Amino acid sequence: MSTFESSPSPLTRPQDRLRRRRATSRGMELLAWLAAAIAVAILGVVVYSVARRGASQLNLDLITKAPVPFAIGNVKQGLANAFVGSLVLVALAAAMALPVGILVAIYLNEFAPGPVKSAVSLVLDVLNGIPSIVIAIFVFGLLVVGHGQSGLAGSFALATLMLPLVARATMEVLALVPDSLREASLGLGVPRWRTTLSIVLPQTIGGVITGAVLAVARIAGETAPLLFTSSIVGNAVEWNPTKALQSVPVAIWELSESPTPADHARAWAAALVLLLFILCASLGARWLASRSRRKLGRATR
Amino acid sequence: MPKHGMIVRTSLVLVAAALVSGLAVNAAGAAGKKHHVRLSGTLNGAGSSLIAPAIQAMWSPDFKAKGVTVNYASVGSGAGIAQITARTVDFGASDAPMTGAQAAACKGCVQIPWALTSTSVVVNVPGVHQGQLHLTGGVVAKIYLGQITKWNDPAIKALNPGLSLPDLKITVAHRSDGSGDTYAFTNYLHKVSAPWRHQVGYATSVNWPVGVGGKGNSGVAAVIGSTPGSIGYVSVAYVLQNHLTLAKMKNASGKYTLPTIKSIESAAQLVKAHKIPANNAISITDAPKTKNKKYANAYPLATFTYIIVPKKSPQAALIKAWINFAMSAPEQKRIQKLVFAPMPKVVVDAAKKTLKKIHS
Amino acid sequence: MSTFDATGSDARRPFTGRRARPGDLLLQGVAALAALGATVLVVLIAYKVVDGARLSLSTFGLGFLTHTVWDPVHGRFGAAEFLGDTALTSIGALVLATPLALGIALFLTELAPRWVRGPVTALVETLAAIPSVVIGLWGILVLGPVMRDHVIPALHSVLGFIPLFGPASTGSTVFTAIIVLTIMILPIVSSISRELFLGVPAELKEAAFGLGATRWEVVRGVMFPYARGGVAAAMILGLGRAVGEAIAVAQVIGAFDNGFSWNLGNPGDTLAAKIALDYQGATTKLEISSLFYLGVILLVFSLVVNLLAQWIVRRVSRRQGLAR
Repeated sequence: MSTFESSPSPLTRPQDRLRRRRATSRGMELLAWLAAAIAVAILGVVVYSVARRGASQLNLDLITKAPVPFAIGNVKQGLANAFVGSLVLVALAAAMALPVGILVAIYLNEFAPGPVKSAVSLVLDVLNGIPSIVIAIFVFGLLVVGHGQSGLAGSFALATLMLPLVARATMEVLALVPDSLREASLGLGVPRWRTTLSIVLPQTIGGVITGAVLAVARIAGETAPLLFTSSIVGNAVEWNPTKALQSVPVAIWELSESPTPADHARAWAAALVLLLFILCASLGARWLASRSRRKLGRATR
Repeated sequence: MPKHGMIVRTSLVLVAAALVSGLAVNAAGAAGKKHHVRLSGTLNGAGSSLIAPAIQAMWSPDFKAKGVTVNYASVGSGAGIAQITARTVDFGASDAPMTGAQAAACKGCVQIPWALTSTSVVVNVPGVHQGQLHLTGGVVAKIYLGQITKWNDPAIKALNPGLSLPDLKITVAHRSDGSGDTYAFTNYLHKVSAPWRHQVGYATSVNWPVGVGGKGNSGVAAVIGSTPGSIGYVSVAYVLQNHLTLAKMKNASGKYTLPTIKSIESAAQLVKAHKIPANNAISITDAPKTKNKKYANAYPLATFTYIIVPKKSPQAALIKAWINFAMSAPEQKRIQKLVFAPMPKVVVDAAKKTLKKIHS
Repeated sequence: MSTFDATGSDARRPFTGRRARPGDLLLQGVAALAALGATVLVVLIAYKVVDGARLSLSTFGLGFLTHTVWDPVHGRFGAAEFLGDTALTSIGALVLATPLALGIALFLTELAPRWVRGPVTALVETLAAIPSVVIGLWGILVLGPVMRDHVIPALHSVLGFIPLFGPASTGSTVFTAIIVLTIMILPIVSSISRELFLGVPAELKEAAFGLGATRWEVVRGVMFPYARGGVAAAMILGLGRAVGEAIAVAQVIGAFDNGFSWNLGNPGDTLAAKIALDYQGATTKLEISSLFYLGVILLVFSLVVNLLAQWIVRRVSRRQGLAR
């Protein structure tokens, strides 16, 4: 059935056919509207659920007080250990993944010969596609067996997830830097390494930060990599990454299957905080991205 | 006031010192200080969710006051065994004794019974209240085999002549993690039901013929609480905490019983001294029939729960102190609030004997 | 997703014919080391996971894939049930998400007033940023009961003659997992499709409109064929995400391991969810190894998905490069 050549049928007048075609088109447009409405509604429902249930629990206790499991009576408790743990885990993961990811991108974009570039790009895509639960059992086998869980093992697992995101984002912005800039710099006798580090890289700083922020937002909500690497934890606040650290996603995971409404309430509140953080981060990143793209665009012109 | 605080602190130190001095001589000797044994350090443990309320709400905070932090993750008994085997923790906790293969894999671990409680059969049937429903092991096995699927099944009705049971589908709930409750529950069914024995068997995780899984005691309690028509098995402490509805279980002596400190203790008292093997694996599910009226109320799903530790460990002194502390009279008394029963003397003696094997 | 941007950018070749200085060599060396590290990491992951599965691989061989039993008591393990449920949940999610995603993409590129586009695009992408554990929390506490009390009974009463729409007794069902996964892959498929639709040359569309085609005819006759390959790649990437998702699925699917059922109202278990729930508590070597075997399946699948998506994208972009 081709859409354009419509063989005239003796039974229908052209006007009728046109009307029918228009009606079909309208119908389909309506469905597209509906699809968009459904997507927005889903988001609305999820965010509303989290916000409504979480907001009532959203107080300072949540981030300042440690949890008291099996509390008898109305004990003030929070998830301070989880928030502190997440902070440490994500910071460490970023410290591991950012430099390596940026270096990988520099190599691929500035140095690597074509075949190597496409091969390593593919490796990054593969790494990005590996399910996080597989990364979890990998890191368990690599770092946890015989040594015990630790924040370091957990953040290494998170960094593994983060690495391809950072590298990819950096590559994209590096590719936007005009060659003329590099050539001008080299023409002036600036060595290539300095050109790369102090001429090319600063151009991309906005984009790199955007990528980093998005990657941080992504791993801050990851549960699976921490499940076997940093989940056997106490209730006290712990800053030391050589010990296992609680994290917000793992805390939500544990509380979500609890039978007690008080635990659900804390899970919702923690989810709300996490969500707010991620939303702020991605909106911030979006703003940064549009700003830096404008700047780069101007440089190109 | 400051004086008072001082006295309290001093006496705490004294208690700690008294407690440890007899047991942690090795550590004290190694440290070269015979006096002023002040414990400090951190122990990481994981496993049984049955013992978790006792550890997390009572023992760990109390032991913290003595200077030792105990981190405990309630991840299920299977994980307790697996994690100590992988040496990712200082101690594992399991309500299921290790199998031969597990003990071999754990390479030089000992298991020490350190508390006594029970898993229990709970239901969520509209119109049925606490302790009203009577069940037998055989009927529970049939439900978990998927052979009885409705609450008004004649087999259930026959046990409950006075109760009006709805025409409601039974939702079977079980643990999704490797669990000591699962072990005790399936071990019981294994003893009382031949079809169960042939088809399923018993372990910390089994191949469930039917049902929906919940993570930990909490997860199963959540399923039961939110699903009308459900049946499940949950540690007594969680039943209490979540106001779940217990069913009465028929024991070997023919009595319908609920899990109470008394009925759990009775089950344990029926364990005879010569029956405690070298590895301390003691099964008290389906406690034997007795003529002794005092113990005739034995609850058939009672279980000891174990701490599993490597015999040789750099943390040996702390581990010993921790086990001794947990087994001390005041702490055992304290957890009675969570329906943990006093352990029989023969078991305590066996535990103490095993404890001596731990060294650094 | 990223796959697209990768191949879309022009390769910017480094400069040649200049004398290398020590600093250049150093930077190049360090950067190359990082790239090598990333590659080694992937190889190491594959090695570790396959190594962990060795015992199970040698015990069960490929028969593992067709056996439905997961019986730790008797030491018999097979992945068939998980494979079945993984296929059911991820394909189910794809079936629900793809038309929705295409609809959203069309809406955003063709229909929406300009002032709506930005915010709605942002909202849909926000959906992608919600952590899976939060969607799982919502799934278990909000969606599950609704599915059990309303959605599944309603579908059962209307479509009960289809085996898929049987009754449910708890909220933890395969169907709940499908909905959760749909929410998670929707933004992936829709954002890629949107970019593809935006890439349709305006001349093509204008020509079709000029011939008197209605908007739907332009979409069907011009835009869909143009974007077909890319949409397929997007669907494959969505599938990969759905198959690999462990956390949200483990929270809502009900962890039932004994045999596959077509009834979406039953609980089930997927490859990834099984690992998430059981890995920590597996006590025998064979069970641990069998869980690694599940990991190997996931790993191989994710590899195939990525290569396939890459291949499609490359083919499509080459063709479109020629067309332009």
